[in-house]
Amino acid sequence: MVFPVRLALRHILASKTRNGLTILAITIAVFLLCFLLAVVKGIDAGVRSASATRLVTQSAVSLFVSLPMSYQPKIDAVDGVALSSEFRWFGGYYQDPSNFFPQFAVNQNRFLEMYEKDIEIIEGPDGITGPGARAAVQKALNSDRRAAIIGVGLKDEEKYSFKVGDTVPIVPAIYQRADGGSWEFIIVGIFRPLKERIPDQVMYFRSDYLNTSIESGEAIGDIAAGVYYINIDSGDIGDVVASTIDEEFLNGPQRTQTITEAAFASFFVSAIGNLPLFLGTIGGAVLFSIFFSVVNAMLIAGRQRLKESGILQALGFTPLTSTFLLIFEGLMVALIGGALGLSLAVGTEGLVQDLFGANIRNYKIDSNLMLLALATSSALGITAGLSAGIPFLGYRPTEALRSMG
Amino acid sequence: MSEKTYIQLDGVTKKYSRGGEELVVLDALDLKVPEGDYVALMGPSGSGKTTILNLVGGLDVPDSGKVSVADTEVANMPKSQLPAWRARHVGFVFQSFNLLPVLTAHENVMLPLQLTPLSKSERKIQADFALEIVGLSDRASHRPSQLSGGQEQRVAIARAIATDPDVIIADEPTGDLDRSSADEILQILDRLNSEMGKTILMVTHDPAAAASARRLLKLDKGTLVSDQTREGA
Repeated sequence: MVFPVRLALRHILASKTRNGLTILAITIAVFLLCFLLAVVKGIDAGVRSASATRLVTQSAVSLFVSLPMSYQPKIDAVDGVALSSEFRWFGGYYQDPSNFFPQFAVNQNRFLEMYEKDIEIIEGPDGITGPGARAAVQKALNSDRRAAIIGVGLKDEEKYSFKVGDTVPIVPAIYQRADGGSWEFIIVGIFRPLKERIPDQVMYFRSDYLNTSIESGEAIGDIAAGVYYINIDSGDIGDVVASTIDEEFLNGPQRTQTITEAAFASFFVSAIGNLPLFLGTIGGAVLFSIFFSVVNAMLIAGRQRLKESGILQALGFTPLTSTFLLIFEGLMVALIGGALGLSLAVGTEGLVQDLFGANIRNYKIDSNLMLLALATSSALGITAGLSAGIPFLGYRPTEALRSMG
Repeated sequence: MSEKTYIQLDGVTKKYSRGGEELVVLDALDLKVPEGDYVALMGPSGSGKTTILNLVGGLDVPDSGKVSVADTEVANMPKSQLPAWRARHVGFVFQSFNLLPVLTAHENVMLPLQLTPLSKSERKIQADFALEIVGLSDRASHRPSQLSGGQEQRVAIARAIATDPDVIIADEPTGDLDRSSADEILQILDRLNSEMGKTILMVTHDPAAAASARRLLKLDKGTLVSDQTREGA
């Protein structure tokens, strides 16, 4: 079949308003698709990056009920447990409630070992970097009960600009100090997360600082562990270890529920509603409605081309030529719109990260998303072109020539 | 003009169904057109003139009877082969010109040439030549909307002859034109027939156009009622 390329290109340029508006609609749809999917992928990345050899033990009643500190030796004694650490939500803020970042009280002797593959210490005390930084930070953590390590995002973000050696006051939201003041933490190390689920604006500090302060009356609250993070010897024994731990505390002061780290991460995603499904539905709905408007635009184009189909057949072209002309036009319009939408999504990637970085972590328009956007645009254009072009095949040349289109 | 029959219709019947009623447009029509003839078809609306053109051009098929062009049975040709056959043997000229408005005059003429095995440069030469024949070389880059009706029809003729077909089928080629433009078109058709040997089958209501043909066929209710050859032709 001979395809008149020049005619196809002229058609695209001839209908500037219609095709321009269609391109604009597809641009917006593809941008939204990329944006929403990048958000969903970012959320999923946290779940997917969870360790296969890590469990989380929490209260069977609620995540917001803390487990006792006394559970740790019993957890450590379970076969298959390599290392465990308490993990307690602190929930304070720096100077102003708008300057919120997560803080966790952890076991200073175990945390760095437990997170060996999860974080990379990039700076320790006295400017130390490189392989010796982790040991130096561990030493510093052990030497001062106020010691804390922070993610690199708290160093880079202008409003914090924390550095090693800084004393950072954190206003408590849960564990009030008896004097009504702030908690003070001394930064002894800065790390870079190696897993997507770990934010880069987070602080880990010694749980004994919190517990001894409560014990001595300097602060108000309960001495507790929060939840326990547990490294196990192998991912294959996760189910057995989890059920052994939960059986151990079946009759304890708090019944426990032990789940994988991935399931624990998923809980937070589902806690804000099924966000991926919600965003996916919005994206799908936008795409679906744009699809119909593109089909409608192509159907209008098709109606206007029926006579042209008759003329082309009289000249010796096959009826398929007109169908392919519409498919080509649909494809080109959709691809131009798709490429513009994709460019917009890529171009605003930095802006989105700057504006929503803390809320939309791991936002990235990656190559898979680019391919998906272009494939979706192509499918949209081809389907729209087919919808408009297939009816041509049912007309006889004389009928097509008699039409007004 | 050769004595060899080029277009032949044998007992051709064509019916259409309109509003549940069957309308016989051609009723067992017999017609022979020698190679190089210039035939005008006249008759009232619905007499079957355009249907004959459509059948000869392979745009439609008869209900019964045979339609052959250059010894090829057109009606029996597989649908998939008809377009290529049309491109090789038939050039169409329509009353309303039917140029593609998004293309220039030159591009319109180039369009059917894409169906030939000619190279791009050969196609360009052929299109230039076709436009020269109709006297529109200087309007090659104009869009149809920038041309007068007469010029548009001349471009349509250039497009019809670009592939050097044997037969020109013209459906009221002067119907939408003023007298002066119509005369120009008739002169061109006359030259195509007399100088280039094209067989022309033309439907017309215009007595002047009919007078320019060598042979005048009159139809009524699907049958041939008169067959006259112009004196001196």
